[in-house]
Amino acid sequence: MIPARENILSRVRTALRTEAPRPTMPTTAPIWLPVGDVEARFRAEFTAVRGNLLDSSQQLREFMKAFPKIAIDGSTLVRQVAGDGTATAREADIGVTGCDCLVAQTGSIIVSMHASGERALSVLPPVHLVIARCDQIVPDLAAAFTLLRQRYNGHWPSSLCLITGPSRTSDIEKTLVIGAHGPKQLAVYFAG
Amino acid sequence: MNAAQQFRRAAAKKAADPRHRAVLEKNIATYDDAVARGRTRYAGWENARSTAAQIKWKAINHLDSYLEQFERAVVENGGHVFWAETAEDARRYIVELAQQRGVQKVVKSKSMVTEEIHLNAAFAAAGIEPVETDLGEFICQLRGESPYHILTPIMHLTKTDVAILFHERFGTPLTATAGELAGVAREQLRKVFLSADMGVTGANFLVADTGMVALSTNEGNGRLSVSLPRIHVVVAGIEKVIPHFEDLAVLWPVLAQVGTGQGVTAYNTLVGAPRRDGEPDSPTEFHVVLLDNGRTRLLADVEQRDALHCIRCGACLNACPVYKNIGGHAYGTTYQGPIGSVITPHLRDACEWSHLSYASSLCGACTGVCPVRIDVHRHLLHNRRNAVRRKFDNPLQRLAFKAWCWVMQDATRYRITGKLARLAIRFGLAAPLAKAWMQGRELPEVPEQSFRELWAGMDDNSRTRS
Repeated sequence: MIPARENILSRVRTALRTEAPRPTMPTTAPIWLPVGDVEARFRAEFTAVRGNLLDSSQQLREFMKAFPKIAIDGSTLVRQVAGDGTATAREADIGVTGCDCLVAQTGSIIVSMHASGERALSVLPPVHLVIARCDQIVPDLAAAFTLLRQRYNGHWPSSLCLITGPSRTSDIEKTLVIGAHGPKQLAVYFAG
Repeated sequence: MNAAQQFRRAAAKKAADPRHRAVLEKNIATYDDAVARGRTRYAGWENARSTAAQIKWKAINHLDSYLEQFERAVVENGGHVFWAETAEDARRYIVELAQQRGVQKVVKSKSMVTEEIHLNAAFAAAGIEPVETDLGEFICQLRGESPYHILTPIMHLTKTDVAILFHERFGTPLTATAGELAGVAREQLRKVFLSADMGVTGANFLVADTGMVALSTNEGNGRLSVSLPRIHVVVAGIEKVIPHFEDLAVLWPVLAQVGTGQGVTAYNTLVGAPRRDGEPDSPTEFHVVLLDNGRTRLLADVEQRDALHCIRCGACLNACPVYKNIGGHAYGTTYQGPIGSVITPHLRDACEWSHLSYASSLCGACTGVCPVRIDVHRHLLHNRRNAVRRKFDNPLQRLAFKAWCWVMQDATRYRITGKLARLAIRFGLAAPLAKAWMQGRELPEVPEQSFRELWAGMDDNSRTRS
């Protein structure tokens, strides 16, 4: 095993004695259009990727009724809003989790073990509901990465995921189908 | 039949197949629309490309230190790193690991590098069942085919083709919609996910400073593959490493934009460790196989090193007029299209695969769409030059070009040859020479007089008339 490592690295070092020409340098001009109001932008982007925004506690209750078997991540906020879990991720009709943050620019949600429970909870049940607070929305991916670096540097969770809409596939004739292997529905409820 | 002959035969067949062309055209037109819509999110797309190119340039030109940094971080987090010089080394490590751990079933998330090393065949030979879980790859596996496109594995199939296949295999009605077909795959594969012992994935990026593997999927099969089985194995080319976690803030959206036109892919997952204390699920073992398999050869070619910047987005395939005509299987390679034609002679045998460099009109569409600014069409030209220098080209062709040079260097020779050529074409003597070209084409009508002769016969007045 060791010789392969040394062989590869030594071939790399020999090759790199000559540096390849540098490509065009980027400028400081913005890459993306401005995000604008973070909450409004998140709502627009999240809806555009077929996310389901639950706007009131009434809507949340109606939504939850359809799913008798509930798996939750056990965090205080989730328990307060969705009640106690009644199933494991493998049996559940719905997985209810918190999140690390939400990204306005892309309408995304970032989950990890620390904020949203085990890996399967947000991907195995047919529906994923995220309970969040509006102050968890950050403007763009760069801000999300800064936040994660501050929060976790040196003790990263074993896995993180940037979730943008329910699972999907366009493999057959590029026809968009919502609901592939992951959740068929993704909902967000803002508890304050 | 050698690879070049096979390529010519397959390409000629596909180029003359109108059904095939219609399927590809429809698929690529939908892709083009989505990409154009996605582009409206950008204030400075060219700046996004430059940023992405700069990140990859930095990574590739300091590859040794980033690889070591990545390895250190993975090991610190409790994972294993295996360095594989060849496809054979990688296969052996993964299959032996599976055997030692009593693995019977493996779920695979879409990965071109595992196609490159022919991992499925190695699993099957060891009595282990590999199951592809990406819908397109699942269909390829059922058909016993290789992927048609690095990002869109069944670009060549219609919904009806898939419905017929699923009807035969699973009894699905022939009238099933795309949604119903995807539902059948979900149901079939759900059982497999829940019973698999090992998940094998590729990597879109390897993040050096956190020791994480970045994996983009839309279907969620990647996430299930790294959540449910007890062992997770990542196979990645050494060129996949990037310096910083923060680089993904640009690379993820850029990859999605050119791959599918999405703002970002539905699931961008980062995995950096096996199960931690207190985690109820996740694999207990996390292995990363770092594969060379010819990549250091390409790295040593300073002129073409930027081909290692490739993030396998598939954009150059969709833009290529040759790909649009001959499709993916004709290439006979793991990586098709312009970038495949550039890198295959380096990754495999330069002599055997240099013919692919001629499967291009050098129009530059590939270079124009490349999100990491690889000089794709110029590299095809470099490959042609290298092939001639190394005498991989056809001796007859060499002779023909020598003769052409000799003719072009002298006005009299040029005039006489032109006259002879016109006569030869008019009396059908050129036809045998242009046999391959004339299948499906006709030679143009040749005028009585050459331009020179016409010019000499004109008075000043006609010469200046616009």
